Amino acid sequence: MKNIYLKISFVLTLILGLGLSSCNLDEIPDPNNAGLDDIEKNATDGDIRTLISGTESLMRNDIGFYYDVSGIIGREYYFFTGSDPRYTGELLGKGESTLDKAGFYGTRPYAGRYRVIKNANILIAAVKNVTAFSDQEKNGIVGFAKTVQAYSYLLALNLQYQNGIRVDVSDPENLGAFLSHSEALAAISSLLDDGNSMLSSAGDDFAFTLSSGFSDPVAFAKFNRAIAARVALYQDNKAGALSALNNSFMDLNGDFNDGPIHFFSLAGGDAINQVFRTPDQSEALVAHPSFITDLRPNDSRISKVAVRSGAAELDDLSGDYDVAIYSSQESPIKLIRNEELILIYAEANIGTNNTEAITALNIIRNTHGLGDYAGGMTDAELTDEVLYNRRYSLFGEGHRWIDMRRHNRLDQLPIDRTGDDVWEQMPRPVSEVGVQGG
Amino acid sequence: MRKFYKQFKLLLLFTFITGVAAAQQFTVTGKVTDGSTGEALIGVNVVIKGTTTGVITDIEGNYSLDIDGSSAKLAYSFIGYFTEEGDVSSTTNTLDMVLMEDVTKLEEVVVTGLASSIKRSNLANSVASISSKELTGTTTQSTMDGALYGKFKGANITSNSGAPGGGISIKLRGITSINGSNEPLYIIDGVYLDNSTISAGLNIVSAASGGGSQSNQDNPSNRIADIDPEDIESIEVLKGASAAAMYGSRASGGVIIITTKKGKAGKTKISLAQSIGFVKILNPLGVRDFNEQRVKDTYSDDEVALFTAAKNAGTLRNYEDELYGHKGLLSTTRLTLSGGTDKSNFFFGVTRKNDEAIVKNTGYEKTSFRLNLGHQVTDWLEMDVSSSFINSSADRGFFNNDNSGTTMGISFVSTRPWTQLLPDADGNYPNNPNSASNFLQTRDLITNNESINRLIGGVSATATIFKDDKQNLKFIGRAGVDYYNLATTAIFPNSLQFQKDGNGTNGVSVQGTTVNRNTNYSAFLVHTIFPGSENLSLTTQLGLTAENFDNNGILGTATNLNGAQTNLDQSGSRDIAQSRLIQKDRGFFVQEEVNYNDKIIATLGLRGDKSTNNGDVNKLFYYPKASLAINLHEFDFWSMDNIDLLKFRIAYGQAGNFATFGSKYTPLGGIIINGIPGIRISSVQGNSDVEPERQEELEFGFDLGLLQNKIGIDFTYYIKTVTDQLLTRRVPSSSGFTSQVVNAADMKNKGVEIGLNLNLVNTDEIKWSSRTSFWTNKAEVTRLDIPSYTTGGFADFLGQFRIKEGHSPTEIIGVGANPDEDGLVVFGNAEADFQMSFHNSINYKNFEFSMLWHWKQGGENINLTTLLSDLNGTSFDFDKIDLDPEGNLGNGDYRLGELGSNSAPYIENAGYVRMREIGVYYNIPKSIFNDVMSLKVGFSGNNLINFFEYRSYDPEVSNFGGKGLSSGVEVTPFPSAKRFNFHVIANF
Repeated sequence: MKNIYLKISFVLTLILGLGLSSCNLDEIPDPNNAGLDDIEKNATDGDIRTLISGTESLMRNDIGFYYDVSGIIGREYYFFTGSDPRYTGELLGKGESTLDKAGFYGTRPYAGRYRVIKNANILIAAVKNVTAFSDQEKNGIVGFAKTVQAYSYLLALNLQYQNGIRVDVSDPENLGAFLSHSEALAAISSLLDDGNSMLSSAGDDFAFTLSSGFSDPVAFAKFNRAIAARVALYQDNKAGALSALNNSFMDLNGDFNDGPIHFFSLAGGDAINQVFRTPDQSEALVAHPSFITDLRPNDSRISKVAVRSGAAELDDLSGDYDVAIYSSQESPIKLIRNEELILIYAEANIGTNNTEAITALNIIRNTHGLGDYAGGMTDAELTDEVLYNRRYSLFGEGHRWIDMRRHNRLDQLPIDRTGDDVWEQMPRPVSEVGVQGG
Repeated sequence: MRKFYKQFKLLLLFTFITGVAAAQQFTVTGKVTDGSTGEALIGVNVVIKGTTTGVITDIEGNYSLDIDGSSAKLAYSFIGYFTEEGDVSSTTNTLDMVLMEDVTKLEEVVVTGLASSIKRSNLANSVASISSKELTGTTTQSTMDGALYGKFKGANITSNSGAPGGGISIKLRGITSINGSNEPLYIIDGVYLDNSTISAGLNIVSAASGGGSQSNQDNPSNRIADIDPEDIESIEVLKGASAAAMYGSRASGGVIIITTKKGKAGKTKISLAQSIGFVKILNPLGVRDFNEQRVKDTYSDDEVALFTAAKNAGTLRNYEDELYGHKGLLSTTRLTLSGGTDKSNFFFGVTRKNDEAIVKNTGYEKTSFRLNLGHQVTDWLEMDVSSSFINSSADRGFFNNDNSGTTMGISFVSTRPWTQLLPDADGNYPNNPNSASNFLQTRDLITNNESINRLIGGVSATATIFKDDKQNLKFIGRAGVDYYNLATTAIFPNSLQFQKDGNGTNGVSVQGTTVNRNTNYSAFLVHTIFPGSENLSLTTQLGLTAENFDNNGILGTATNLNGAQTNLDQSGSRDIAQSRLIQKDRGFFVQEEVNYNDKIIATLGLRGDKSTNNGDVNKLFYYPKASLAINLHEFDFWSMDNIDLLKFRIAYGQAGNFATFGSKYTPLGGIIINGIPGIRISSVQGNSDVEPERQEELEFGFDLGLLQNKIGIDFTYYIKTVTDQLLTRRVPSSSGFTSQVVNAADMKNKGVEIGLNLNLVNTDEIKWSSRTSFWTNKAEVTRLDIPSYTTGGFADFLGQFRIKEGHSPTEIIGVGANPDEDGLVVFGNAEADFQMSFHNSINYKNFEFSMLWHWKQGGENINLTTLLSDLNGTSFDFDKIDLDPEGNLGNGDYRLGELGSNSAPYIENAGYVRMREIGVYYNIPKSIFNDVMSLKVGFSGNNLINFFEYRSYDPEVSNFGGKGLSSGVEVTPFPSAKRFNFHVIANF
């Protein structure tokens, strides 16, 4: 009993020494990342700029799937890979296979667009609480955010088509209803108008930098109007398209390739062009054989494909040409470019001013080695000519499927194997099915 | 905390006021010996029954004990032996005792509280114990996790691949978590072990899960593989919450408690062991038997010409043999020293292992040291230290799924036998026209290495604060640390087909460093009292626990390498990723155990836990437990001679499982565009209310011993309910998020475990013991707050798991005829119908023979190796006709024809019967070597005999590692191997 005190002090020393005396735990903030709450409530001007760069960067997220899906379903090209049978199976409707509502090809490009929209919504919410910016600067930031959102909605809608999309998504717990295709186009159009008016009262300079070009409110508004022209065309609102083009960066005498880009780089942490695939490999982006067979003599747009040293074959499909629209993983992808605007201009003039439509078409034709248009003057004949030129001028840029669809011509797309199908739209992603409004 | 001190004071007060009455006294002496060898037993506990007074026997097996009063009953107990009792009095004051070895394990001590143990015969749970003999006695084990196969009931143990260095998932009593970890908690000598799987960043090349470096398809090993199985004295497996409740929020997957070897008093023992062996592929499939017509049908006329040319030139290659045909050498060297005095003991062990594998340039090397020390500091204080250092290096090759045609597995199934891949005389490898990579070049030039330096140390102090003949109060303090530094190195030089000439990124070097530090502390008071008669004892324990986890991983990825340089600096492009995990858990534990004369044993306990990983960091989560065991054979009315043991037991408990770290945060991650840094919203929505999953388990059963316990039968039934299951809810992706972790489902597991132990023959000349185990588990999702969904695979038409109310969480669905309301068809279930294991060991004179068989009945896998082989026309059974119900199509054409409309052909029965282990040894008696040493020589093997119909290398496989549901999906893995070993063991 005499060393009981020794024993007790031994025990107490151990308990204290082991750090067991403190029972309260402190909240540990996320050691790896910035937190959403903090950014929305207490963002600095620096945080806002990183949010803008993040938003611009996110626009590239899974964008490759968007181009591949429209390119493959639109019979512009095949993607041959030994690693996934779905590119030559489900996407081409092989046999009895159908599109999978959980398939990556539909869910990832869709979710990728809404992630941009979410990031821009965080930006819109956060910028309100920042005192470091002037009202003009804030207008510029919100104008940027809304324009980018409208562009992202449009791509999601292009995949979903008659399924429609949600446009009111600011509260993740209370998502708005699905809008029909035409309602959604109208909503996108009005979002673009909102963005445009913000940009028009944003002064001469943005308070931020974009990765390349279109980095001031005036230039960015011209991009906004270019997208507005595309939307108007999809709405079959030709007058609207022409009016939007008027304020866009369209230049009938300008470089066809002018336009804002997705920047790509091999630098660490940056993103690469996912549509580019090294030519002449067994895993290949192979031009659909009809690209060559339908091409008119002397059309210089044959340079958009490159002949292979041997035919690529997979799954009873084959092709002798690789897609060659990009030269490397660092090649930028254009969001929209002057050539498309000129083609929209041509199409929008059909029915009201066919001569002007031919003028625009001849600009395209002459540049690509074809002489002046000598075909018929009817609306239908001119529409054919526009579609031919859109097919080859915008090859691999995600248009043919949508063009054939809006002109009800999907049945004219070639079928390569008995039982193949041409899909009209992606299924509504599985995450949206069976939930609120879905 | 305040409560704790109050209790503590009360206890102390109680101990002071309990008086000690002294009267008559005498001394009893004697010697304790082993019944079969006659040797003295050192360290036997000799205790006056109904008191805590006792001594232990010395080096000669002698004891001397002062006893108050005129007579007493003494109990002699020793680990591994049956307890005996004897009466002594002042007149009969010498008593020698003979103890018999306990082959039934009824007397073995099992941990039931954090600071107390109980002998098995009084246990109310079915706790599995694995001795060192069972673990490593039959054959050399490649890794610690691999040593557990088939050795206890209620477990589903699956290796993820045959890659050297381990990689195993263990699920105890079915699935406990759909989304989180199902892995048990590992504790070695009181130290919480880290069992992470850390990706080496191969995804940058494989693109298996889209962009970036990290993915769960890299097939990393799990860190439990570091533990040296040779160091282990015993393993206890607490399978469900009823046994594991005292480990609280980390115990839902069960707890595996590892105790390492300790020295024993006596002469220093030295043991030297060497094993040498080889591995070969477990189940070579063979290659497709091509002829001109088949080449033409599958490929083209051009290929026929190539085929014919190769056939005539004799250059048709068997690439399976080329890639998987290596007979790798195995070598394990082991030295142990152990010994001690009556006050101190030590154990020292060194293992050096160098194993090659069936693919050249892959293998596993390990050096491990262990030093365990124990010392009786004073008569009231005992200290124990357990420490080990491990250095290991695993070269794991490059297998599993990819989206780039670069893994050796994918490239192999793409390659036709007439394609020439062998290097020329100058060592130049031709490009593989059938695939993005030449897998022989890949095998010879890449590095995919995991190297670890790991230090695991634990210290414990046991202080007897107060003691008299009716009660004692002990304090137990423990501290442990698990510290390691893991380096992963993945190098893909720019001379590879898929890295040169504009392919890939002109070389890749990915170097990862992970520093992990787990620390855990605990302090307990244990009070034992015999109030009144000798028939009743009460044990109270209370304690506090603290665990801290800190894991910091940095992964540097360099591409566009300068020539043959691999340093991250020597590159045109660099990327870096860091992930940190910081978590602190705090808890308390109280338990009361009542033992009425070994007839009725009842336990009540409660654990409370809080953690920084929960939404509310200071909310306490409580996990109660209660159990009751009744030993009918101990009662006086028991009169059935041939039934020596009949125990009924019932136990209930709860345990938890944390959400994956970070589930509560909604983060904005970093990104760069054209050199400008940006932040972007995560695709995973945080849940600030996230709580641990809660498992509730009720188990009951009986143990029966017949014919002097030569026959032992045990039966256990359990119902395990997991509520607040953490699911990754798919959120509508229009929200900008794709998923969120929510507490949204309940699940129920029911199962039966039956054991039959036979020790019918036990003579000097021949001993035979046999253990047969049977177990089965059925799981069902009983509540699902979110729509049913599919997960765990690649796509529904390729086979996935479905989570749906009223269905098993492991059911495998696909597309096919007569779909259900989800448009899906159920094709199988990853869970086995039942499993059995059958262990026999026979000792005849100087021969030892043992054998372990394991039978898994049913359970399906998703076999996508076959799919990819079919798509490339290379499946070994492509032309065989045994699948098409109409008997027309070859299997390859049949399966491809069904692809997209019927998933059945790629969902296959993954049942098996296999001889897990076999060992034959001969003991050369000491007398041959003038009693200086004894020598044991033998042969052993793993997985030498296998029966399964599964059409790939091994039905035990997982492309996605061990997490959640995902086991059983196969995509061109590293094939499993058979291991053959020859042994020489010298004991001095």
